[in-house]
Amino acid sequence: MSVFVVIAYIYCKSPLFKSLTTDAIRTRDRVYLYFVFSALSIMGTYLGVPVQDAIANTRAIGPVLAGVIGGPLLGTAVGVTGGLHRYSLGGFTALSCGLATALAGTLGGIVHLYLQRGNRSEYTFDPKIAFFTAFVAEILEMAIILLISRPYANAVALVQVIAGPMILSDAVGAALFMSIIRDQKNMADRIAAVSSAKAFKIAERTLNILSRGINPETALALAKIIHKETGVGSVAITDKEKILAFIGHGSDHHIPGNPIASPFTKAAITDNKVIFADGEKERYDCPLSETCPMNSVLVVPLHIDNDVIGTIQLFEPRNKRFLNMNKTLGEGITRLLSNQLLLSRYEMQKNLLVQSELKLLQAQINPHFLFNSLNTIIAILRVDALRCKDLLIHLSNFFRKNLKRGGDLSTLEEELDQVNSYLQIEKARFDDRLVVDIDIDPSLLKVILPTFTLQPLVENAFKHGISNTLGQGIARIKAFRRNGLAFIEIEDNAGIFHEKETEDGHGIKIVERRLKGHFGNDSGVSISCVPNELTRVTVKIPLETKAP
Amino acid sequence: MMRALIVDDEIYSRQELEAMLNETGEFIVSGKCANALDAIQAIHREKPDVLFLDVQMPVINGFELLDMIDQEVMPSVVFVTAYDAYALKAFEENALDYLLKPVEKERLSKTVEKLKKRFREGVKPAFSGSDIKKIPCVHSSRIKLINTAEVEYVRSGETGVYVICQQGEFYTDLTLQVLENKTGLVRCHKQFLVNIDLMDEILFRENGAAEVKTKSGRLVPVSRRYLKILRERLFF
Repeated sequence: MSVFVVIAYIYCKSPLFKSLTTDAIRTRDRVYLYFVFSALSIMGTYLGVPVQDAIANTRAIGPVLAGVIGGPLLGTAVGVTGGLHRYSLGGFTALSCGLATALAGTLGGIVHLYLQRGNRSEYTFDPKIAFFTAFVAEILEMAIILLISRPYANAVALVQVIAGPMILSDAVGAALFMSIIRDQKNMADRIAAVSSAKAFKIAERTLNILSRGINPETALALAKIIHKETGVGSVAITDKEKILAFIGHGSDHHIPGNPIASPFTKAAITDNKVIFADGEKERYDCPLSETCPMNSVLVVPLHIDNDVIGTIQLFEPRNKRFLNMNKTLGEGITRLLSNQLLLSRYEMQKNLLVQSELKLLQAQINPHFLFNSLNTIIAILRVDALRCKDLLIHLSNFFRKNLKRGGDLSTLEEELDQVNSYLQIEKARFDDRLVVDIDIDPSLLKVILPTFTLQPLVENAFKHGISNTLGQGIARIKAFRRNGLAFIEIEDNAGIFHEKETEDGHGIKIVERRLKGHFGNDSGVSISCVPNELTRVTVKIPLETKAP
Repeated sequence: MMRALIVDDEIYSRQELEAMLNETGEFIVSGKCANALDAIQAIHREKPDVLFLDVQMPVINGFELLDMIDQEVMPSVVFVTAYDAYALKAFEENALDYLLKPVEKERLSKTVEKLKKRFREGVKPAFSGSDIKKIPCVHSSRIKLINTAEVEYVRSGETGVYVICQQGEFYTDLTLQVLENKTGLVRCHKQFLVNIDLMDEILFRENGAAEVKTKSGRLVPVSRRYLKILRERLFF
């Protein structure tokens, strides 16, 4: 029995045990398990005590465990192997014992299936299950000996002697073996859990920082987190030329802002590969200071796409071994950060795209409006010079506001100011047939929204609505509160809205994208149209959201 | 002196151009219209020599307006617009000239020279134009645009030209001549055009004339003279 415990312990410490620490058992793992448990089974035969031309043994433990852990196929295979071996040794129980060993494996497999089907696979490594399975398997073996082995009298005599000790020793042996496996497995799980929790913690804390881009300030924050969470001697972050941040031992001579000195770092950047000096086979020799305590280093390049933009480095001093876990962690975090950098660059480019689309849209509209406005103002100059002056001031106000950058934010009041200048000019153009009606809840004037939210919508109302009607044109602009939301409505009485009109739809989409980008999904733009009566575009903004 | 008609949807634009035309001393402004529908009536009524025409106008734009004018009364056309993107199309349509808003005095005097030259040479303005897809009709003080494909027939009477479709009968300012030339409708009588695609059957009468029954069961007279042409169109 003690031999078994020793074997179990040795097994758990060997690399073969790895096949059991993963959750899903693959084909290769099964092969390993087959050999381990077959060996166990055969050993059980040899370690048995010869009794009356038979062998009192612990052969069944191997197949039972193989079956319970790996399923009926593995169990039976191990059983047949152990059984064939026993059969080859001869004796009047050779056949019955061989057969019983094979059946023990199958029985283990049936238990495995039963646990899987019943969704109780967490009991697979329960020593009690191993105990009872081995217990039943041995009873079965005794029964088979009685059934098959002849002369019957000898069989009865044999069973009388070995039944008790064998049933008990096999059951206890299986349970002990299983409990050792389980403990080792739990330990491996715990280590995995601790290191993945650590990785997630670092990931969570660093990703936010990185969305602001990589610079000395964010690099320092990143380095602090990695240093704290991994517990390594020191952490450095560099760009391609110089140190951005350095935390830990040796920070007296590794100073941020200084150029990169280490050949490891230079190699990592030029070759875009991970460099690891473990401190034994390869040593980190600080090029800056004789007294630098650092001895081992991991240098991982940070990259966007395939371009290296810098490195993250983990150091350990002479008196500390560089943990494998920290190596994996360091590489993983860097990969994660690289992905994050790629993502934030993509986001940035997307934003630039939206902004340039917006600018393009503005540029498309303005020349027409400008020339028509100038024409109107020149015409009015003939009859009313004062009004002309007024209109020119509105026109310059309108264009000044248009030149504001697209990424900016404005208050509703500022937006309405631009809209008002626009409306004054349109009113002059269509003096004889345009009515403008503005009704704004004054408490909403300070609401913040992306610049150019209102103007494109009002321009649409004219371009596609009012300028296409023959009779009186009416434009209404309303702003009001409802259910904790601010609503801004832009309405015209033309009742023409063509979804397919790409330019129009495009403009509204850009407005909506920018709104959602700022306020999230509670905001939006919706359009309703009653043909020939009205088109209403509604902008919805959550009021709770505080603008940054 | 040339008789000019100004068509523009902006009031100050009309006023300014009128003032400038008067300053040249070459024009008598015989009318100003705020949209294409008013313009159709005015052109047929006033028969101006020259039309100063804005392109971008509600419902019917400047180009579409030209398609709707009878060749008999077609004036010389000068486009006046802020959108220079239309220049090429304007010349494809044989416009005499193309002015950009705001209009410069010197540029306008060149237009005057072109116009005078044309009148000296006696060139009759002609427009290639395209087919009319939608016929503007008056419907209880609103403008209704009727797809030509939906028109069953057109009749002209003492009170004007009427377009008949499934929804009923609508008055239009377009002439029977324009509709015959610029739509797929076929003349079947001195006063009637019929849509061949919406014909159900032809009923022959004793005196050699006939009647067309439309798909919605309306009867349209066919005179002897046009029955022959109608037969040829239908290949029987």
